[in-house]
Amino acid sequence: MKPESPFEGEGLGDEPRRHPLIWVVYLLLFAVAVPWYWPTGYRGPLVLGLPLWTAVSLGAVVLMALWTGFVIRRWWREEA
Amino acid sequence: MESGSGFGTGALVVIGLYLVMMIGVGWIGRLRRKSDSMADFYLAGRSMGLPVLLLTLYATQYSGNTMFGYTGKAYRIGFEWTVSILFMFSIIVGYLLFAPRLVALSRRLDFITPGDYIRHRFGSPILTLLATLLMVYALGNYTLAQLKAMGVAVEGITDGGISSAWGIIALAVIMVVYETLGGMRSVAWTDVIQGVVLLAGFSVLLFLVPGLGGGLTAVVEELSVSEPAMVGAPSLEVCNTWISFVFLLGCGAAIYPQAIQRLYASRSVSVLKRSLTVMAFLPLTTTLIALLCGLTGRVVLPGLEGVETDQILGRLCGLIMEQSLAGYWLVVVIFAAALAALMSTADSALLSISSMFTRDIYQVHFRPGAPQSELTLVGKIVSWVVVAVLVVIAISTEKTLVRLLELKFEVLIQIVPCFFLGLYWRRLRTSVIIWGLLAGLAVALGLTAAGHSKLYGFHAGVVGLGVNLLICAAGRLLAPARPEGEG
Repeated sequence: MKPESPFEGEGLGDEPRRHPLIWVVYLLLFAVAVPWYWPTGYRGPLVLGLPLWTAVSLGAVVLMALWTGFVIRRWWREEA
Repeated sequence: MESGSGFGTGALVVIGLYLVMMIGVGWIGRLRRKSDSMADFYLAGRSMGLPVLLLTLYATQYSGNTMFGYTGKAYRIGFEWTVSILFMFSIIVGYLLFAPRLVALSRRLDFITPGDYIRHRFGSPILTLLATLLMVYALGNYTLAQLKAMGVAVEGITDGGISSAWGIIALAVIMVVYETLGGMRSVAWTDVIQGVVLLAGFSVLLFLVPGLGGGLTAVVEELSVSEPAMVGAPSLEVCNTWISFVFLLGCGAAIYPQAIQRLYASRSVSVLKRSLTVMAFLPLTTTLIALLCGLTGRVVLPGLEGVETDQILGRLCGLIMEQSLAGYWLVVVIFAAALAALMSTADSALLSISSMFTRDIYQVHFRPGAPQSELTLVGKIVSWVVVAVLVVIAISTEKTLVRLLELKFEVLIQIVPCFFLGLYWRRLRTSVIIWGLLAGLAVALGLTAAGHSKLYGFHAGVVGLGVNLLICAAGRLLAPARPEGEG
């Protein structure tokens, strides 16, 4: 392998892969976004015109998008 | 668009001017080139700033399928298609798993194609060639689907005045002209216009379409009575499919070659980070609107079946056009957005195919010492040849005949370990990657050929990827440790 091996991570100060917390949060939010925990066929009250289960899924996507912004800002850094 | 909703002369002139403008932008891209090098032609000299990078990522990621296919799918299965918002978002998470390190490497080592990374990491011409051929195959299919949709769209707006075949030829020529004029610079700048038009088109759809059914709440209440299954939470098997979609798109679309090349092309890491931050929210302004349009269509125009369901957006536009002159012109914007979605996706895929042929096949295997000017010339010739071949296929084949050609993610996703694992696992050897890739392909294609495109709700390609990853993990465990290895 050449000295400029990808394994050295040269040029990178930090990256999301190094932080398990990030992926635990994603896992939890994905688990909320996938509607496995609702009874099949359940609609629930409408929230902003959407069935409750859909609104909850979309809410989880919004939270994940916000989390992504934070992750990129906090844990993706070039080498100082 | 369906026949019968054709535009008048004025609208056709506006659409024509819009298309001519694409060539003009392509010409400006040519004038602004800095050198006759591959990096300048295929990566715009690695100079993309925030607006250009963001809009080219957006216009490339959201294809004509988002407008026509996704509305049709929502029409057929209802709120279950909420998964489309989740899987389009998951692509950004996919980037976070490998992009930081790949981008750092690409900036230091001047990568141009995904094959450059694979060659550098694994040092194997066979693996690089295999991965390149799979990527070209997947992108060829992707471009083919866009070309076919272009033909249908042109035939629809001209009410059959221009046949599908001539529509495909005309738009393909426009696309390849502006692409060969200025390469990535032209493609990205046209993507900026196309991205803005696409955003405008979806905004207009959100503004107009739910109103056709009396507003979103009325649409959902109506569906709850007439077809409650379309509104209710999905079954556990369907939830498996949701998870499968997250893997299929989150991994597959993140390693699309044209997407990877846009990561390479950013002016700085900071620009890329900001672009991806915004991209994380764009499924909410795009696929969510496609979902709402499909649902409204189910209430306003019930009874469509089969391929007719993919015409639902065109039929809704027909209704809007009949209502007022303003509605007519807003539909012109929507149609321009559809063309933008189709062309921006196809031109990016085409440029990627050209770069991979030139860099990873022609230069590496035939002309290692070729000057940069020769390579860019070869790349332009390749673009024209590839377009010609795809146009002939698009015109001469029926949709029912091309099921095998529609397989793209199932194939492409098998390259995922090269990136997601190869960047991090030192002990992942070339032979293991190749065996994993071949086993994954065999499982994915075998299941599909046997009529099992899904297994317990999981796509055949994802099942294949599971096998592929297991082989990679086993290969890593069995490989002898290196003294200073981390993997």
